[in-house]
Amino acid sequence: MARDFDPAGRLRGRLLLAGGAALLLYALWPWLPVPGRPATPRTVVLYGFSILGEAMNEAVLPEFARQWRERTGERIEFVTSFAGSGTITNQLILGVPAQLGLLSLELDAGRLAKAGVIPAGSWRRLPYGGVVNRTPFVLVVRKGNPKGIHDFADLARPGVRVVHPDPLTSGGANWAILAEYGSAARRAAPGGEREAGLRSLLGVWRNVVAQAASARAARTQFENGFGDVLVTYEQDVLKDAVKGTLPGEIVYPTSTVLSEHTLVVLDRNVAPSERPLIDALVAFLWSEPAQKLFVERGFRSVDERLNAANPAFGRIADPFRVGDFGGWERVKKEIVDGIWKDRVLKETGK
Amino acid sequence: MTGGAPGQRSRAAVPAGLLFLVLLPLILMPIAAVFVFALKGGPAEFWKAFTNEDAQFALRFSLLIAFLTAAINAVLGTWAAYVLSKYRFPGEKPLTIAINLPVAIPTVVVGTSLLLLWGPIGLFGKALEPLGLQPMFTPAGVLLAHLFVTFPYMLGAVKPLLDELEVTYEEAAYTLGAGKWQTFRYVILPALRGGLFSGTLLTFAHSLGEFGATVMVSGNLRLRTQTAPLYIFAQFEAGNVAQANAVAAVLAALSFVIFFFLLRYSGTRKS
Repeated sequence: MARDFDPAGRLRGRLLLAGGAALLLYALWPWLPVPGRPATPRTVVLYGFSILGEAMNEAVLPEFARQWRERTGERIEFVTSFAGSGTITNQLILGVPAQLGLLSLELDAGRLAKAGVIPAGSWRRLPYGGVVNRTPFVLVVRKGNPKGIHDFADLARPGVRVVHPDPLTSGGANWAILAEYGSAARRAAPGGEREAGLRSLLGVWRNVVAQAASARAARTQFENGFGDVLVTYEQDVLKDAVKGTLPGEIVYPTSTVLSEHTLVVLDRNVAPSERPLIDALVAFLWSEPAQKLFVERGFRSVDERLNAANPAFGRIADPFRVGDFGGWERVKKEIVDGIWKDRVLKETGK
Repeated sequence: MTGGAPGQRSRAAVPAGLLFLVLLPLILMPIAAVFVFALKGGPAEFWKAFTNEDAQFALRFSLLIAFLTAAINAVLGTWAAYVLSKYRFPGEKPLTIAINLPVAIPTVVVGTSLLLLWGPIGLFGKALEPLGLQPMFTPAGVLLAHLFVTFPYMLGAVKPLLDELEVTYEEAAYTLGAGKWQTFRYVILPALRGGLFSGTLLTFAHSLGEFGATVMVSGNLRLRTQTAPLYIFAQFEAGNVAQANAVAAVLAALSFVIFFFLLRYSGTRKS
């Protein structure tokens, strides 16, 4: 073969072989048995919805790992995945090996129960009915508020372009719909709530120009220059607003919903030997140190006393909760499906 | 290329310049943007983003999967090419088409179909569940998806060479008393070297960048099943553009090296 007499070709062949071997060594490195490496730690698998990622990965979980190590000497490794709440729920239904799930709305917990992943209502037996923390829904506008947006009603004005997460995959989007509906319904005359809510939703959704899969993705779209206003969780934009790196400013509506984030324990993925570890982690989430970390990271604690610790929290004149509208099952049936899907989507042609 | 007459060269200036102008925003500038943005915060920032635990895991995991995929499909693809090229049997045509299908099917569809077959609600998955086996959302699931998606590349690289290979060589080897394995090792394999090489590299490169099928079957678990492309996407979506870009730049550089070898090798082979 002529190639065998081609020294340049042989050199290239050897180079390629050496490069390939080096690459393989690099790839295998963490799994090679090198003496002095600590034993593999115990793992906890947690799936959570998008905005909880940083608070959990950087603050709450490491703090728990530290406490657990102090108490037992064992190392814990957290394997986590964060995406839109609906996406997470679908993955949990399809059988990802998670032991814990943090969902942005109770409705997704209901879907898990319906699919037989967890016993119905099991999360309600946890502290605060499974709600780990809260955050209000706010508006983010461009710097200097050029479109003069001060409340949900202003989103309906012609020429305002709204960036909204997609209610099909995002829990936050469902909260946003409740906020848009509720803020109008609560100010309506008795008997006119439904009509007022419908009109508010119609106004906002006529102006929706982009729907992202999760609240976090919607924010990325807004930061990349789409739209005039973003509807999102206060927590997701608070840190950057304080630092001054948010390409916009937060507007607090007069009346808005406080989203409540639900923890579910997937018992079928918890081995008996892991039980004490998982139980300790669950209890830790409602302990004062963990709740304080949430407040530090911009979530409002379920323990109202702790919320004074974060001066950046904006004041909302008339906050409300999903319970004020009969709970998620009713809100889903009557507002999200009954009004938004059947009427607003049809009439706006989205 | 360099041998063109001066007149030819000046005539080439206009179409070549036009091609360059079209390709600039279409291909060249986006690639450059990845590197520019990756180094925007300075080398220290890049290094920090690159050595991040999740990024390191994602890169290593992607490389391991790519190595495994390339190794397995090199053997499997060569064998399939050999069978398809050497034997004539009923159903050969449909089988050839079916084997090449992964090139045509959207990778997301591949992921979905794998989930529907092997997932906990799927046909095989249901049977495996009681045994405690669950390939989806594990590294095995990712490997399965990559084997599926890249299967045709090896076949496409090797089968034409086998088709061209004259039977007489093989027969001569047999007449000279060579066994089946000896014939394969000393007669067929050397003739396939070029195809094996480019097929393996193509498979490796494709596996390294696979996204559609992986995102469906991996569960996107950091430090467990998150490949480099998934990491890039997740970081970008979360607004961490610097993190995403560091890994994207490394991945792009790796692909350049692979394609450099592919082009150079096929170049010398032809000359």
